[in-house]
Amino acid sequence: MSAIPLHRRARRRRIVLGRALAATRQAFLGNKTALLGLVLTLAIVMAAIGAPWLSWIDPIDQDIMSRLKPPSAAHLLGTDQFGRDIFARLLHGARITLLIALSANLIAMAIGSLIGLIAGYYGGRLDIVLMQFMDALLALPSLILGLLLVAVLGPNAANISAAIALTLVPAYARVARTPTIAIKEREFVASGRALGYSDLRLMFRHILPNIVPEILVVASLWMASAVRVEASLAFIGLGVRPPAATWGGMIRDGFENILDGPYLVIFPGFAILVLVLALNLLGDGLRDAIDPRLREER
Amino acid sequence: MIVRARNGLVCLLVGATLGLLGSIGGAGAVDLRFGIDNPDLGKLDPHATVVSGDRYIIQSVFNGLVRFKPGSGDVRQIEPDLAERWESSADGKQWTFHLRPGVKWHHGYGEVTAEDVVFSLQRAANKDTSSFASDYSEFDKVEAIDPLTVRITLKEVVPSLLGLVVNSLGGNIVSKKAVQALGPNYAQKPIGTGPFMFQEYKPQHSVTLVANPEYFRGKPQIDRVIFRYIQSQGSRDLALQSGELDITGGALGQDWIERTRKMPGIKVETPGLPEIWWLFLDQTTKPLDDLRVRQAVAHAVNRAALIAFRGEASHRAARSVIPASHAGFTADVPLLGHDIAKAKALLTAAGYPNGVTLKVINTNRPSLREVIEVLQSQLRQAGITLDIELVDHATYHARIRKNQSQAVLYGANRFPVADSTLTQFFHSRSIPGTPTAVTNFGHCKVADTEIDAARVATDPKRQDDLWKVAQQKVVADVCAVPLMEVLYTWARREKVDYGYEFKDTPSGGPLITEATRIAP
Repeated sequence: MSAIPLHRRARRRRIVLGRALAATRQAFLGNKTALLGLVLTLAIVMAAIGAPWLSWIDPIDQDIMSRLKPPSAAHLLGTDQFGRDIFARLLHGARITLLIALSANLIAMAIGSLIGLIAGYYGGRLDIVLMQFMDALLALPSLILGLLLVAVLGPNAANISAAIALTLVPAYARVARTPTIAIKEREFVASGRALGYSDLRLMFRHILPNIVPEILVVASLWMASAVRVEASLAFIGLGVRPPAATWGGMIRDGFENILDGPYLVIFPGFAILVLVLALNLLGDGLRDAIDPRLREER
Repeated sequence: MIVRARNGLVCLLVGATLGLLGSIGGAGAVDLRFGIDNPDLGKLDPHATVVSGDRYIIQSVFNGLVRFKPGSGDVRQIEPDLAERWESSADGKQWTFHLRPGVKWHHGYGEVTAEDVVFSLQRAANKDTSSFASDYSEFDKVEAIDPLTVRITLKEVVPSLLGLVVNSLGGNIVSKKAVQALGPNYAQKPIGTGPFMFQEYKPQHSVTLVANPEYFRGKPQIDRVIFRYIQSQGSRDLALQSGELDITGGALGQDWIERTRKMPGIKVETPGLPEIWWLFLDQTTKPLDDLRVRQAVAHAVNRAALIAFRGEASHRAARSVIPASHAGFTADVPLLGHDIAKAKALLTAAGYPNGVTLKVINTNRPSLREVIEVLQSQLRQAGITLDIELVDHATYHARIRKNQSQAVLYGANRFPVADSTLTQFFHSRSIPGTPTAVTNFGHCKVADTEIDAARVATDPKRQDDLWKVAQQKVVADVCAVPLMEVLYTWARREKVDYGYEFKDTPSGGPLITEATRIAP
């Protein structure tokens, strides 16, 4: 063992970490498609946050006299079968869609990472039991699992988030477990253990910070799948309650009137496409930037 | 030489293929494909189901003692069906029906006897087996005099008695032997006497009926009727356009009518006898127990806007709690008009200055769903929030019958006499949860006396007066807000000939009879 005192070693680790972060940032900023993903994602998030200011029309205000009108100056993207403004509904729909995707991911991240961390750290029989349970969950297609839960619990934003979260938990558990197994054998964990640190302290203070970047990378990718599952659930009628708008729900409603106005389906469909694409580009870029091997290949 | 040999081979192959097809489907088997806007079959038990999609199928499988003339819902045009003739006693309390001899049940269940009719009418009057039991409350007894004669004895005179033994709802005659043999499976394997016999049910896909070669009015011209479950209007329209469907129910709105009329080779029809749609208000729940809150809801509803939304081609404003086409209708009722200020004032007076929230369970079927969303928007202006839970159609039917929805949007089309609608929707015997439960979702009980008295009134003038008072009381108590009358819309390929003029429809949909054919 080296003779460097612990506090100096920690400082050196921070410096190393700092250098790694700088390299990551550089790699990410040099990746044009990743930047595009970031810009698009930020734009959609800003649009969702600024919805009330970007469109002064109330998204649930019906104007029966101007129903199913194609895009015009008064209604940028036209109106739906109730005469509601599609642009306003898209903006406000983004709020619900993003909120559900984000909360589902946060819940899944918290629970999944914890399970992965525990399984990876303790290993043995506990690991086998936990991970086999996770694998069993993973074997069910996420849409089917989500559908089952929402059908049982009833469709509202909280239940939909919970259902999507459950479909993501096993994925997060897997992502957290693998690096935990590698890191727990590293020397700084061993020395911590020699100093008598508790398992909890080792897991949360020493291992968790090291696996967070990987979890964050997959989070951006799985935001995209959460958006997709939410849209699919809304499309098959298990969306939030009317009159609130979600993108999947808008496609479903538009489908009933597709022969009167194909734009009813095209605009929300395009919105989903852009958001999912943006999140995927962002996630891919982050992964490439964080993984040193891929970074060197560039 | 080679060319000729190849031609010969082609001829042989074509010949063989045709021969094979012929042997499978019978020479030129004719299928009629009928699109239904439900996601799935409910029950094919005519006494149990209340879903119109089921009734479209049932009406081709079963007969009543008497029937509406095909294409008509006119009570004066009722004609013989399983009964050849009938007579009533001088006091109108005894009715004797003489059955047509030699009518056979489908799939080898023997011949129709008076025993079957007795069993069937008793089953229709039994609340455990029938959704329409309360219609038969005046039946004292039904007996078989001989194998082909049935006698119905009434407690009180029922002027519209033939309406209870017509080929609709409880009047459909089922086979005693089949019901007893099949038990609960009967709902998915109906045995009737009609022109078409049940053949196959594919869940969430289709029901197939085949021609009944022994039908007493003659062998049907169509070999099979395939009822396809396609809930989405857009998908059904596309299927009609591409030739996958021959007949389909339309959307109830004007947009659909105008657009579909432009399709080549397609005919759009809007038969008479409209449905009436109401918003029932459950007066046993808070805050609807306060009449002022119910009045506020009524004032907040804008019928004119609803009609504008759906289009005048197939909609008109309701003027009472029963359709204007029903005998006994009156427009002389205190219907509340659209007045948001008054609605708000009433809510404030009732102690709800900040508005009220009503829990609503609604079907996700587009036609009803759109209307509840328009109502939601209208009521919001008066501070009345509808908290809508959307569920599939069968769940909606089940849950509103458990009093789980404070406001119920419902549309129906009953026997066109005031009594049937008033009894089933506004008589306290029909409150969901009571033993004779039907569809009184508003828990209305203000007009029981008049409804009961009118049913057995022999003087037509007095009967009309009683029905008028009943309607006035129900409207004044705001048991339901009558919304609009809705004509059904149907589209068919022009080469489909129903075999009758499609003017009215007691079931809501076109009847496929032995005379229905498809032009080549």
